[in-house]
Amino acid sequence: MTSINISGVEKRFGDLVALSDINLQINEGEFFTLLGPSGCGKTTLLRTIAGFYRQDKGDIFLGKELINDVPAYRRNTGMVFQNYAVFPHMTVFENVAYGLKVRKMPAKDIETKVKAALKSVHLEGYETRTPDKLSGGQQQRVGLARAMAIEPRVLLFDEPLSNLDAKLRVEMRDEIRSVQKNLGITAVYVTHDQEEALVVSDRIAVINFGKIQQVGVPWDIYKDPVNLFVATFVGKINKLEVKLGGSLEGGMRAATAGSVPLAVPAAGTAGCAEAVLAFRPEDIVETAGDASRLNRLSGKLMATSFLGTVASMEIDVQGQGIVIERHRPRKADIPALGGAVEFAIPPDACLLFDKKTGVRLGGGRK
Amino acid sequence: MTLSKKKADIWSLVTFGGFAIVIVFLIYPLSDVFKYSFVDKETGAFSLSNWREFFSRAYYIKAFVHSMVIALGTTFFAALLGIPLGFFTTRYKIRGTTLLTTLSVLALLSPTFIGAYSWITMLGNNGFLRNLLASIGLKLPPIYGPAGIILADALQYYPFISLMLAGSLMTIDRSLEEASENLGARSLKTFFSVTLPLVLPSLTGGALIVFMMSLSNFGTPAIIGGNYRVLATVAYERFTSEINESPGMASTVSIVLMMCAAVVIVLQTWASSRRKYASMLVNRPVVKKLKGTRSFLAHLLCYFIVGLSMLPLAVIVFYSFRNTNGPVFASGFGLNSYRQIFYDVAKTVINSFVYSFIAVILIAVIGTLIGFVIARKRNLAVKALDPLLMIPYIVPGTVLGIGFIVAFNRQPIYLAGTATIIILTYFIRRLPYSVRSAASILKQIDPALEEAGINLGSSPGRTFRTITLPLMKSGIISGAIMSWVTSMNELSASILLYVGKTMTMPIKIYLSVADGYFGTASAMSTILLVVTGVSMFIVNKYFNRGSDTFIAS
Repeated sequence: MTSINISGVEKRFGDLVALSDINLQINEGEFFTLLGPSGCGKTTLLRTIAGFYRQDKGDIFLGKELINDVPAYRRNTGMVFQNYAVFPHMTVFENVAYGLKVRKMPAKDIETKVKAALKSVHLEGYETRTPDKLSGGQQQRVGLARAMAIEPRVLLFDEPLSNLDAKLRVEMRDEIRSVQKNLGITAVYVTHDQEEALVVSDRIAVINFGKIQQVGVPWDIYKDPVNLFVATFVGKINKLEVKLGGSLEGGMRAATAGSVPLAVPAAGTAGCAEAVLAFRPEDIVETAGDASRLNRLSGKLMATSFLGTVASMEIDVQGQGIVIERHRPRKADIPALGGAVEFAIPPDACLLFDKKTGVRLGGGRK
Repeated sequence: MTLSKKKADIWSLVTFGGFAIVIVFLIYPLSDVFKYSFVDKETGAFSLSNWREFFSRAYYIKAFVHSMVIALGTTFFAALLGIPLGFFTTRYKIRGTTLLTTLSVLALLSPTFIGAYSWITMLGNNGFLRNLLASIGLKLPPIYGPAGIILADALQYYPFISLMLAGSLMTIDRSLEEASENLGARSLKTFFSVTLPLVLPSLTGGALIVFMMSLSNFGTPAIIGGNYRVLATVAYERFTSEINESPGMASTVSIVLMMCAAVVIVLQTWASSRRKYASMLVNRPVVKKLKGTRSFLAHLLCYFIVGLSMLPLAVIVFYSFRNTNGPVFASGFGLNSYRQIFYDVAKTVINSFVYSFIAVILIAVIGTLIGFVIARKRNLAVKALDPLLMIPYIVPGTVLGIGFIVAFNRQPIYLAGTATIIILTYFIRRLPYSVRSAASILKQIDPALEEAGINLGSSPGRTFRTITLPLMKSGIISGAIMSWVTSMNELSASILLYVGKTMTMPIKIYLSVADGYFGTASAMSTILLVVTGVSMFIVNKYFNRGSDTFIAS
């Protein structure tokens, strides 16, 4: 079990700053995810940890060891590749045994280790198959077994599921998670799929433009985003541009979205006049005539989509599209298109961001 | 850091070696050729006299015009044969397509001069076909001259067009043509507005290769051209007559020939860079089944084209078993000619095999190393090396031969009359193909595979040995076999460089034909054909490579 300590890492490709001032402490046995849109630098960071790139500035420690100048093949990090990278000229057995042979392990031990690794990814009996006879999911299992077999200090995953179909993706991600927990090994996992990140991770670092935006447990990333980028990248969210007004009682502050008066939590909003009010579709309460609610809005139903567990409804509120979700939907209850829908934004669901900088302004719940 | 430094050194050494090869064996001899074209033969001073002579004497102007006539004519007739063959074999059900393709590749790879020589035995002044046709009252025009050259060249090079066309026709997704029909276009309209534009780039590419090959071909015009001289034969002729003076005119003609070739290569690169239609092939194109007369006619045409190109080869093999009496054929069949080879010129046969073998080893090893550098280490030096390695593409064999003999006939590098100089010609002429094919194989190998090896703890050297090299193996070997075939059949450069003891089979065949010893020429040509055929068979059988290998490499 090894921790990873990244401090002040910067990486440039010509003029492009791929990573800037990256500081991360990844704990022993942690499942740590680097999440961000494509081109954000997450894969660059992973490849820098693996040693395929040399950072221009900063240090990387594996445990207590400074590995800046340790070549990739001496780092003992097990990497699982996006396109599997299963050696096509070797059998499944030879693939998994490759790293062990390099380590000059006796043939007997190799056999035991390979068998065990294949067992843990449910590929017993596939030893003599060649990769072209395997499905994508099976190839990725070979990739995982091969990386595990060398008993690496950390496991590195480079979008390992992005080439698999939706159903297999869910299956594999649970498997990766359980294998990692069983081994108790530190894992760094790169993905652009926020849902995947929320499910598998102990902690997540959201990255954009080569910078770390936020590090936290999945709950915090989703519920307590530090800026508008994190809020919109992780999960679905509605946004309303609001003008902030005077204080109200109970720690609230007045706000207007167009002509609609609203009350938002005042904490942290001092000195800010224009903000973006963001709220999750599932936090909205449908009111249907209940006048006691704060922040009531009404609009015209523009479209509905049925997703099984929820029905989502797109509502036109004074020219702005708002999406709300209804749980355990019943077909009879969904209004006809064009019909009026009334809903309220509970004050504790309000996330406020500075309109100019996108930085979060206090408030919200954890 | 010590380790990655050592790694860097190996690859810098390869890059350095690549530059050394290019400078010593290409730039140095070619700059000599360039220089001599500006040296006055009488005074030895710098002068434009050679160039003035080139542009003022009809002899040279005519050679240029003749070269163009031959190249254009060959391209036209090769297209005439190649287009229907390529189209029919991919779009209609033709029985024995594999056989047709294999035979056409054999025609393509057979030594260039065999076709010419064989047509002489058929349609020459005393050719059996000519006599046969004359006996039924059909008098043919003489074969010596442009008609003969174009006939032999077109029947050799048409597979470039049929194979490239077939290759691109087979990779057009069926949905594209279906979409056109779905949008209301009839099949003829679909052909002209969808299919043809999609295959046009490879068609032009194929045509330009044919143009290039016939432009720089020396063997065919030398044997069947008679008094119809082209640039390649004029360069050779000038060189042999200027043997005791500075090779001014040979050099000037060489430069002109090279410039023509360069223009064609530029056009070809441009044409193939436009081939960006490579779409996802999801649905293979439909192969239509023809019925009755139409099917019969389609088969007849395809087999006629390939059969016609096989005819000269078959005639050669047939003649090699005819009994001979000195230079003339006698009645009856036997192994006379073969016996004669092994008594008289066994050394020639051995030379061909030994020289080609050594050259191929060099080509495969050095080509692979440089190919690796080109594909994987894109630093400034490598980027400069890459285009330099293209030079042999535009240097016709004759020109390289002249350059070599001029440059290596004096200190510091004296190689005249050695086997080394012949092996080096094979090596340098084939090296760019080998580099390119190694680089393109590497580009198809996902770098993640090498990274996976490294990540699992294998050093870069070991990763290259255990991952990269095994994945490249079949490509390298089939490329090497191609180099083997072309080296075995090389004539245009070695004809200038050989001395008695370094004679090879193609040279001996050329000289035998010139002296009228058709028997030994046939037997040796047959040996070369068998070597070519067996090599192709090995590539097809053991490396699962289709015919595209032969045009790609």
